[in-house]
Amino acid sequence: MRSSPLYLEPRLEPRLRSVLESADFLHTLVDALGSPLNVVLPEQIAANVARFRAVYQRHHLSGGIFFAHKANRSSALVRQLTVTEAGIDVASLGELQHALGAGFTPDRILATGPKNPEFRWLAARTGVTVGVDSRAELLELAVLVGKYGLPRVRVLLRLSGFEAPGVTVLSRPSRFGSPVGEVAGLLEAVERHRDAVELIGVAYHLDTVGVAEKAVALETCVRVMDECRRRGLRPQVIDIGGGFGVNYLADAGQWERYTSELTSAVLGRRPALTWQGHGYGLRAEAGTLRGALGLYPAHRPIAAEAYLDELLASPAPSLGRPLATLLLENLYDLHIEPGRALVDQCGVALAKVLEVRHTPGGDCLVRVEMNARDVSLEEHGVLMDPIVIPRGGGRPSGTDPVAVYLIGNLCLEADLITRRLVHLPALPSPGDLLAFANTAGYFMDFSADHALHQPIARKVAAYRENGSWRWRLDTQYWPDFATGEQQ
Amino acid sequence: MRYDSITDVIGDTPLVRISPAVHGLRNIDLYAKLEMLNPFGSVKDRAAWSMTRPKLATAVERGDAIVELSSGNTAKALAVIAGMHGLPFKSVTNRMKVPEIKDLLLLLGAEIEELPGQSECLDPSNTDDPLTRIHRMLSEAESGYLHTDQYYSPLNLEAHLAGTGPEILRDLDGRAPDYIIACVGTAGSSTGVATVLRAANPGIEVVGLVADKSDFIPGIRNIDEVHEVGLFDPATYDSIETVTADHAIDGLLTLVRRCGLLAGPTGGGAYHGAVRHLRALDEGLTERRTAVFIVCDRVESYLSYIRKRRPELLNQPPRQNSVATLTEAELAEVTALDVDAARKWIAEDRPLVIDLRGPFAYAALRIEDSINIVDELFDELLYGGLPFGKKQPVLLACPVGEKSVRYAALLTRMGHPDVRSLAGGIIGWRDAGAPLVRD
Repeated sequence: MRSSPLYLEPRLEPRLRSVLESADFLHTLVDALGSPLNVVLPEQIAANVARFRAVYQRHHLSGGIFFAHKANRSSALVRQLTVTEAGIDVASLGELQHALGAGFTPDRILATGPKNPEFRWLAARTGVTVGVDSRAELLELAVLVGKYGLPRVRVLLRLSGFEAPGVTVLSRPSRFGSPVGEVAGLLEAVERHRDAVELIGVAYHLDTVGVAEKAVALETCVRVMDECRRRGLRPQVIDIGGGFGVNYLADAGQWERYTSELTSAVLGRRPALTWQGHGYGLRAEAGTLRGALGLYPAHRPIAAEAYLDELLASPAPSLGRPLATLLLENLYDLHIEPGRALVDQCGVALAKVLEVRHTPGGDCLVRVEMNARDVSLEEHGVLMDPIVIPRGGGRPSGTDPVAVYLIGNLCLEADLITRRLVHLPALPSPGDLLAFANTAGYFMDFSADHALHQPIARKVAAYRENGSWRWRLDTQYWPDFATGEQQ
Repeated sequence: MRYDSITDVIGDTPLVRISPAVHGLRNIDLYAKLEMLNPFGSVKDRAAWSMTRPKLATAVERGDAIVELSSGNTAKALAVIAGMHGLPFKSVTNRMKVPEIKDLLLLLGAEIEELPGQSECLDPSNTDDPLTRIHRMLSEAESGYLHTDQYYSPLNLEAHLAGTGPEILRDLDGRAPDYIIACVGTAGSSTGVATVLRAANPGIEVVGLVADKSDFIPGIRNIDEVHEVGLFDPATYDSIETVTADHAIDGLLTLVRRCGLLAGPTGGGAYHGAVRHLRALDEGLTERRTAVFIVCDRVESYLSYIRKRRPELLNQPPRQNSVATLTEAELAEVTALDVDAARKWIAEDRPLVIDLRGPFAYAALRIEDSINIVDELFDELLYGGLPFGKKQPVLLACPVGEKSVRYAALLTRMGHPDVRSLAGGIIGWRDAGAPLVRD
């Protein structure tokens, strides 16, 4: 008697579903370009921008939507973005060069994060808006502007260390930004260097899914903006960073059932669900569950633009007004920097099945032509099943549900693409493809490397033309080539 | 009845029969153990007192703060006990989901620390979750904390082994009931009561109720979370069943409207779970049986919880003079002035300019000589009537000219002859380069 399979099926919107149903198309691509292969869907990113904009409109807010480039290195996605209304948030010299080369004009670029002198120089030289991390960085910018006679640099001051009224809201300490308690010194520096920098606003980014922490930060920013006005500065923007999240799974019930079964497995009340009893942060001590589940909440009913909507509708902790109202009536623009959420449904990672093997211990291993760095779902704690795309377009050769471990192409015990048993509707065969859907945000090229001289996945951009799927190498994709939906 | 201290009032709660006309069971007598009648309002008074009493003298001597991971009734009871003994109380919690409880704790003098939300960019190799860090801090000797540790402390269990369980047995004339139904939070009350009653009647059936995973019921854990509770032992329960927030509120409604028991959602969930479980057995019974469920706390702290999930239960009749009742035609009739026209009108006729934004925004930047009546306050004023004379022309301003149109339409309906709205609002005013001032 087998227990029923614990599927974690990905949430697929029509565009991504359509490309996954095009088996011949995907097999042809992998045959030609090798495994692993990443496919991005540039048209989807434009649709995602529009969803965020609709939330702005509902709250009557203005301000920019900036794609956090680090979520994906694709040229096609960035180039496609240039023909939408969105801007881009770059966090390295290479990303800035890439954005400029893709066609973003400096007024649509935000340079954020830790910067080396070259990154800072190119940002100042081209006139992009700079998210300033510290007072020291502000002074370095002022020196650059003076030395080369550059136009004034538009800056956002990144703040951190927010404190809540009434109830202490603990937050993970951030390595980035200036402590809000030291904002007076920062503003004095802005005033002193008025001829070199133009303060357009303040910013924060908190690495948390908690709305309460973000509400505290946003309200504090409104108070800092008022202090700026009191000093005669005229900033207009509050940038709340990213972290809007993605809902990866189609079915809440599957997620809840899976996590309950994982808990039982850790407590030893059912057969293991993971390689060597790995607990994803949970452990059993004297029959009691200890630790914390170190997994991304893969089923998130409130994610992406809906999360922004919820945040904006939340009351400001001390001023009481809904945050959207507070921004609006203080006449401030709202900037956001979604990464993962803007490339939701924008891509798929493909791998060819090389071998299916049964161990003496009774485990079934499926070895694929890819390694754990090529699709870093495990590294980010996202549990989501791949989809089997049988070779020859037919049905899979197996007929019964199976539970398998997916292992990679590195000669390394740790190269498990999943440390959990993945339940599939049928056993795949060598030559079939495994499609890891919805991996464009952080799981595609963020960690991939050349270990063992294994190839890094090539990337192609797929788009619809005259009712069928077409493709170009990612580097060969420019928006004007493709006709159709995005125009 | 005379007592020396309010803590002497803890326990000895009544066992009240629920009328068969309400629950409809023919062969089962159903009793409610009214833990809500403890002096601080809940079953947790027993555990809080039991966990602190033996350690209070030392804590007072050393000036230790009492600390607990709780967002509800345990924190409330501990805050009261700490206050009575001159000790600080700190509650560390994942999220205070019930605003009334949060405010009450602050009123009682508690310090509340909310743990950070889960990281968005997850690093699964970082197993140092905030809770683990706090446990480590509390367990250090000389930490300055009296950590009551409700999910693990045997003193929590002891309160029910010595109190709640024997009281039920006594009130049923020494005969243990056939069924006991309880929601599982710290598992203290259900385990304690079940242990005592099972000793008296090995055939007793113990039903533990947990919250549906996708739901939140204050004070009840879900099927995964119970495993994090040190006092939870699955062998205590003959079955574990699930209740949803809707079930809990349905049960609560029956208790408050028909039984005269002002029970909170946990009590409501226990009632619903009890009747659901017993109804299936009732028909097949040939002799009388007895069942007991536990009512943990009172309803008053959960009004916002109920409002959020079942707003229709708290429905007010529609108010007079409300913007919610405006028609499209009334909105279309409003005179909306663009910035130039508004500036001209202000200069010529000097209307009263009312800024409907919040006071913080008004103080920061406003139209000169405008006055500030924030929209929610304006609502209240209009409920009573016009707050200014009809001869006084009025220009309403809001951020984008949306709310001001609605209030202008409402004032017109109320008989004011000359109310106008600033089209595009204060943002339009600013974008047109018109002056804004601050003090």
